[in-house]
Amino acid sequence: MAEAAAARSALEGLHRPGRHGKAEGAPGVTLAELQGIGLASVIVRKGKAAQASEAAKRSFGVDLPETPRRAEGKGIEFLWAGPGQWLALSRDGLSAGELEARLAPVFAGLASVAEQSDGRTVLRIAGPKARDVLAKGLPIDLHPRAFRPGDTALTVAALIGAQIWQVDEVPTYELAVFRGFALSFWHFLTESAAEYGWEIR
Amino acid sequence: MSQTSRLASGGLVDRGRPLSFTFDGARYEGFAGDTLAAALLANGQRLVGRSFKYHRPRGILSAGPEEPNALVELRAGARREPNTKATTIELYDGLAADSQHRWPSLKGDLLAVNSLLSPFLPAGFYYKTFMWPASFWEKVYEPMIRRAAGLGRASGVSDPDHYEKATAHCDVLVIGSGPAGLMAALSAGRAGARVILCEEDFRLGGRCLAEDRRIGDSRASAWAETVERQLAAMPEVRIMRRTAVCGTYDGGAYLALERVNDHLPVPPAHEPRQRLWHIIARQSVLAAGGVERPLVFGGNDKPGVMLAASLRSYVNRFAVAPGQRAVVFANNDDARRTVADLRKAGVAVEALVDPRPDAAKPGDLRLIQGVVTSAKGGRSLEGVEILGGDGKAESIACDLLAMSGGWNPSIQLSNHLGGAPVWDETLAAFLAGPLPAGMQVVGTAAGSLSLADCLRNGGEAGAKAAEACGFTAAPEPVPSVERDSNAVSPLWRVKGSRGKAFVDFQNDVTTKDVELAEREGYRSVEHLKRYTTLGMATDQGRTANVNGLALMAELTRRSIPETGATRFRPPYAPIAIGALAGHHRGKDFRPTRLPPSHQWAEARGAVFVETGMWLRAQWYPLPGEKDWQTSVDREVKQVREAVGVCDVSTLGKIDVQGTDAGAFLDRLYCNTFSTLAVGKARYGLMLREDGLVMDDGTTSRLAQDRFFMTTTTANAAKVMQHMEFCHQVLWPELDVQMVSVSEQWAQFSIAGPRSRDVLQRIVDAPDAIANDAMPYLGVKDLTVLGGIRARLFRISFSGEMAYELSLPARYGDAAIRALMEAGREFGIIPYGTEALGVMRVEKGHVAGNELNGQTTAGDLGLGRMMSSKKDYIGRVMAGRPGLVDPDRPRFTGFKPVNKADRLRAGAHFIAQGAEATAKNDQGFMTSVAHSPILGHWIGLGLLAHATERMGEVVRACDPLRGGEVLVEVCDPVFYDPKGERLHG
Amino acid sequence: MRIKCPYCGERGNEEFAYHGDATVKRPDGRIPAAGDDAAFQAWMDYVYLRDNPMGVHRELWYHASGCHAWLVVTRDVRNHAISAVEPVKP
Repeated sequence: MAEAAAARSALEGLHRPGRHGKAEGAPGVTLAELQGIGLASVIVRKGKAAQASEAAKRSFGVDLPETPRRAEGKGIEFLWAGPGQWLALSRDGLSAGELEARLAPVFAGLASVAEQSDGRTVLRIAGPKARDVLAKGLPIDLHPRAFRPGDTALTVAALIGAQIWQVDEVPTYELAVFRGFALSFWHFLTESAAEYGWEIR
Repeated sequence: MSQTSRLASGGLVDRGRPLSFTFDGARYEGFAGDTLAAALLANGQRLVGRSFKYHRPRGILSAGPEEPNALVELRAGARREPNTKATTIELYDGLAADSQHRWPSLKGDLLAVNSLLSPFLPAGFYYKTFMWPASFWEKVYEPMIRRAAGLGRASGVSDPDHYEKATAHCDVLVIGSGPAGLMAALSAGRAGARVILCEEDFRLGGRCLAEDRRIGDSRASAWAETVERQLAAMPEVRIMRRTAVCGTYDGGAYLALERVNDHLPVPPAHEPRQRLWHIIARQSVLAAGGVERPLVFGGNDKPGVMLAASLRSYVNRFAVAPGQRAVVFANNDDARRTVADLRKAGVAVEALVDPRPDAAKPGDLRLIQGVVTSAKGGRSLEGVEILGGDGKAESIACDLLAMSGGWNPSIQLSNHLGGAPVWDETLAAFLAGPLPAGMQVVGTAAGSLSLADCLRNGGEAGAKAAEACGFTAAPEPVPSVERDSNAVSPLWRVKGSRGKAFVDFQNDVTTKDVELAEREGYRSVEHLKRYTTLGMATDQGRTANVNGLALMAELTRRSIPETGATRFRPPYAPIAIGALAGHHRGKDFRPTRLPPSHQWAEARGAVFVETGMWLRAQWYPLPGEKDWQTSVDREVKQVREAVGVCDVSTLGKIDVQGTDAGAFLDRLYCNTFSTLAVGKARYGLMLREDGLVMDDGTTSRLAQDRFFMTTTTANAAKVMQHMEFCHQVLWPELDVQMVSVSEQWAQFSIAGPRSRDVLQRIVDAPDAIANDAMPYLGVKDLTVLGGIRARLFRISFSGEMAYELSLPARYGDAAIRALMEAGREFGIIPYGTEALGVMRVEKGHVAGNELNGQTTAGDLGLGRMMSSKKDYIGRVMAGRPGLVDPDRPRFTGFKPVNKADRLRAGAHFIAQGAEATAKNDQGFMTSVAHSPILGHWIGLGLLAHATERMGEVVRACDPLRGGEVLVEVCDPVFYDPKGERLHG
Repeated sequence: MRIKCPYCGERGNEEFAYHGDATVKRPDGRIPAAGDDAAFQAWMDYVYLRDNPMGVHRELWYHASGCHAWLVVTRDVRNHAISAVEPVKP
């Protein structure tokens, strides 16, 4: 429909498949902007933590994580985003505002929900050099002993606020940054990855 | 003939890989594994620089980062780097270096005349000499001093290379890879700890590389290689060569500089030249070794006078014999090693001069119990004069003097957090005092001069550090080594010296300067330093500080600890500004935040302005418009006459929910929000707790328990933090949740008499926004452009009928294009922040210039907004007498009496007839604009008793830019004072 | 300096914003009656007056680049040693 045609990513035009940076050998990392991600803030109401968690369990079969972890439920993931706060994430290609519309009734009176799908750009970085690339901007420890698949952290990357979570042991990471900073963050990421070679598939 | 001083065999250089380089334009050859200093010495080049003040010929004193003399300009053109130490520059093929600080040439430096003038250049000479006349300072003295002094030249052009910053985490950080450091890393690594081993040199091993010794069954250098291989095989051990740890910070944080590609002419594509590391370590082992002290006697700076242990480095590591006939002058037992190594390299050792009465005779060598009083020679050492303990003087011809005054442990990094070093009488050296949490000091850095101790202590420290991180660890078995003797007896200066005896080589500070400082009362170590500049050069006094301190102690008849202690601050080694900036230079100096219409505005040729991190369109010039004012005037007129659109997405937007959301906002703002009807917007004013205005913005009620709040662009983060404070710290009992949705929504202001016409073209249900259906301050959820969920606010900053359209940011680009298309027939234009500002001044709205942190709501004419029925932030303090004083300047408008006059923000108001003095100051102009509607400049400002002075003419004085304008006090609302246009 | 956020773990102090003394309490929001100097002084103390003892402080920090929690950090200002970090919110 017309709606889809009009949407524009903050990285529009930059995200072209191909090999960049160092050309020799296998690329150190692959980079991708994730499309069709639905995001929403979920913040528990006063004294409703247990009920909100039950509601999530009932509707999505998931326990809301109480530590900086990512939990996967039916068609939705919950990333811890502060005490009593989560970033709900859907990969179902929802339309703008749809995630809030789905979550609001589930958490009615138990948690406040606010759509964030358009407020963040979500990037994926994967490959053997992913940790080295991220070390150039992230102050947190991503060593496998300190940060594992399913872990998430809110921190700052190259002076830009970011939430990161690890997907698998490749390692693959995903990062959400404010949309307005996406281009600056992309500069940082691609410049940092250049010495290892990077690829967009 | 090349490499005349290179030994035929031995050393750790690769004779199979010759490297070509130039120094002062002459071509030389060295080998892979050389430093520039080693290669210069291999080629018999011992004059490499001129000294700072006296332009004395200088050679190579040391073999490491303590080098004060051999500073060169490395590379050429944009990559030229001044003041690099030849002793740490790793030789590469094609290296080009120049001596610096000489004119016109190194051999014939005319400024060496300074040496003859030296009686007139004592310590502190520029404090005394260049004082009068004062006007001479800037034009004559300073340029003259700058030409004569200073060190190398900066390239003067932009650095073409890139630099990076990175963070690394570990359990155990080992600083230094000598015997102690290697053992520490090995012990911690074997336990499974995450270890980072940092070595400043390009090769691991420290003194293992420099000494002709055995560890276990192998040469020390081979042992180091074996350990390196073992460490490299451990997955959790990271070896960082060419990495100097430069600073220790609280909580186990360290700063380190990795010279990733300084050993290449140009960094490989995509690679940085240097990388600055933040290392976060739970434990650290400082094994940084030590620096040998020079002896202080006449002419101790002549090329050919070298530190004895450094000489051993050149012989053993680099296979260079820097002379043919040597004298060794030392106050400690290390001298035997020096003698043996020199002899093995074929250098004739004429004598060992040792001041200690009990010095034992070293085999067949001539021992002179006494001191060297003077080194002779011009550009190179020719001989020494010796005074025996028996009073007999003699001269010995030689081209090399190896001197050793004992060792200074390298404790800098133990001292960065303030723990004062402690004097050790036996070692005659400062040792680390109270240590930073988690740090251990081992090896020579801890005062251990015996190899066996270094190995054992290193291993124990590594194991202890790993245990402290929760690992089970044991120290590595200590390999067997030959016993060594390290007795030392201090000799701080040679009495009866002849000629200049240097304490600080790099800053040309002599014993006479220290004596002068003492005579003139600069006796504290801090005064000594500042007065003589001792220890203030790029080497930070590594070879000078302790000698200088000891000399002052002797002059003042105090002990060394009574005199003071050397203290260190980061950085341990110089760090290029480029490395400190890393990725954040040029356009990446700080992140840029782009609103959703940015690409569209860019294509349209907008001029941008930075507001905080945001880049906003300032105006949109059309072809043929001569200046910004033409464009801005057009934009304002077009909005007032037709319609314009402006991206206001940069406003802070906060989603506030919860059963107590209304009550919370009542406490946050000075006016009331709990009474706001759903579907309505209200202007809000927020105070700080001290009663002054903090921020303002429009807040809308979306549901009984949900508000959509906006803040100014500049204060968005500050307001969010303030709200979290109010909620978490002050009123945790309230059920309220808040989250920033600033970037979720693209927001456009559509303003002007035709704004509704335009919007009705893109709104899916046009009737819903008819004037009656959506009056001023109405808020509605609706869809636009065929189903896109959006929200429309009928609010105005321009005074015109206006709306703000909010829609998911992904549609921001589509929306601006659609609005422009839909508005074409109504004459729509995009307008920028300048036109926005002009229109708000015309309407007398306050903005950042008025919300300056010094104004109250009352000052701004908004006192009526302050509710008297509730508690809110700033309520009580706003009532303080000083803040409700009727004499406080109040917000009002100004227009020039002569309509052609330009107004200036910042001009101060003075009553007519009064003198323009601070005492007569009655306030100042906060904002000005050229009003295209009125055809003249208008201003807003704060003026004492403004309300009673309507129509009065005052002087707007602008002494800063010069000029004065007569202005008439008027109502701040210049345009449509009744506000009829808002309602369409 | 490193601060161990009770929610996020140990982070560099650059992620946090400092807000001073955590022990001051906001007086109630009533306007002091005329002549009630004590009540007025309590407000002046709250807004402006801070002790600066040499030693251990309890101070407020905001985890601005992390979880947005306000924290009470117990810190010895002589050596920056942090002995406790607690959330301010019960």
